[in-house]
Amino acid sequence: MIEVADIHKSFGKVKAVRGVTFTASPGEALGILGPNGAGKTTTIRMITGWLPPTSGSVTVDGLDSVDQSMAVRRRLGYLPETTPLYPEMRVKQYLDYRGRLYRLSRSQRKAAIDHRIDQCALTAVRDRRIGELSKGYKQRVGLASALLHDPPILILDEPTSGLDPSQIAESRNLIRELAQTKAVLLSSHILPEVEKACDRVIVIAQGEVRAEATMTDLMTSRQHTIELKADPTAALPAINAIKGVASIKPSPLESGWTRFTVEATNSGGDLREALGALALTNSWPVRELSIKSTGLETLFANAVEGVQ
Amino acid sequence: MKVLAAIATREFASMFRLPIGWVVMALYLLLTGVVFAAVTLRPGDPASLRGLFTLSDWLLMFVAPAISMRLLSDEWRQGSIEPLMTAPISDWQIVIGKYVGAALFLLSLLAPTLVYVAVLEALSSPDYGPILAGYLGLLLTGMVYLALGIVCSALTSSQVVAFLTTIFALLILRIGTTMGAAALGAPWDSLLFPLSIDIRMLDFARGIIDTRHIVVMLAACAWLVTIAVSIVESRRWR
Repeated sequence: MIEVADIHKSFGKVKAVRGVTFTASPGEALGILGPNGAGKTTTIRMITGWLPPTSGSVTVDGLDSVDQSMAVRRRLGYLPETTPLYPEMRVKQYLDYRGRLYRLSRSQRKAAIDHRIDQCALTAVRDRRIGELSKGYKQRVGLASALLHDPPILILDEPTSGLDPSQIAESRNLIRELAQTKAVLLSSHILPEVEKACDRVIVIAQGEVRAEATMTDLMTSRQHTIELKADPTAALPAINAIKGVASIKPSPLESGWTRFTVEATNSGGDLREALGALALTNSWPVRELSIKSTGLETLFANAVEGVQ
Repeated sequence: MKVLAAIATREFASMFRLPIGWVVMALYLLLTGVVFAAVTLRPGDPASLRGLFTLSDWLLMFVAPAISMRLLSDEWRQGSIEPLMTAPISDWQIVIGKYVGAALFLLSLLAPTLVYVAVLEALSSPDYGPILAGYLGLLLTGMVYLALGIVCSALTSSQVVAFLTTIFALLILRIGTTMGAAALGAPWDSLLFPLSIDIRMLDFARGIIDTRHIVVMLAACAWLVTIAVSIVESRRWR
């Protein structure tokens, strides 16, 4: 269980992270989304103890990441964005070295290395020099090394950057599998990847959490678009009267047309029929009536509005 | 302790996984071998290794920086310091582990020169006292140089810069505490002479084992390694 409470980080005058708060629990994959330079990596580095927060606190299973850093580090498996490895070492040598750093006994190391090599599909390259491996294999070596000590919490910074589509699909499946028992925290700026791999997302922009939603929320919340040739002052209250409408945003278009963006409440469901009926009874010409699930894309777009 | 050993052995083994270790060792053994054959093995000369020790003392100024340059700077450059410093190990363990690994490589660099001792033994009857003292002196000198090297390596992410700054610092140390001290005269010379490492090495090469020298050189190592640890720690707080 990770609890991040109002952390800030400044580098000189630059405020990279300004008050980020969230939690992540075992059995869930939490995605941290955000445009490049939003503060995702800085936030992750404060959780792993690589950077101390300027203010605020990070606790892992109730342990403070600065005061009880060693205990926290033992609970974390961390794969940094650039997957730094030692190119001159062989895969097995490197994994053995990492196991020793986490104080695993010889037999524990042997079992853990065999298991993770199998899990991360590294059998073919186990005796190869890391420097000779492709980017995808290096990424998996990094992941295997982060998993060696079987940490309850796994933190992955952009785990699929530089991978090809089939490798992305494989790593997504692996993340899903690991998230059954562990708390998995992964950062990315690729929306579909997070959508498929995570149970919940937070969107960070300019160092702040701008939005937070579960994938189930994103599936149910719906947005309708209706374009009417009608007087907005008359249409607005009429649409508002429909049961299940949460909000309406009118935007005037050319020659008397107006687009109404209608958000449904969670229980509102599909409002197209009611909207169509309303237009019919009032004899308002309609040229568009549609519905879409306000997925991650809208959440992201709204959250980073004005940033880029 | 086990973690420290893990870091030290990785560092030691990596010297042999990379060309740098082999190149350093080959050059060192070639040069000492030439000197041994040309200078020491002269008929009528005493069966001592003083020539080897004096030369090695100079060679260490280049050999030690070549060993120490990648210790930390390569970690900064590759970013591999991040998974290292987020593992449950202290900054002390990282720096001392690396230092011990480098010192072990220094030992394995000196080990083949024992062949020269065997040659002397086969040809004549050498006095083992000065030989033992000489090796001790070389090891201690090398360890001080490596400690200075790890400080320079902690300060930069470029191996070349670490190598050059270490050599530069060693030259200043060497010249400043001998010729420089003599030129400055009182009261500076009494301050600078005791800082000299090569004056102490001279004593070792002559066969004198002075505990003061040992204490001063070990203290210098401890002090420099502590500085390197502080530099590594400070990176976390930037």
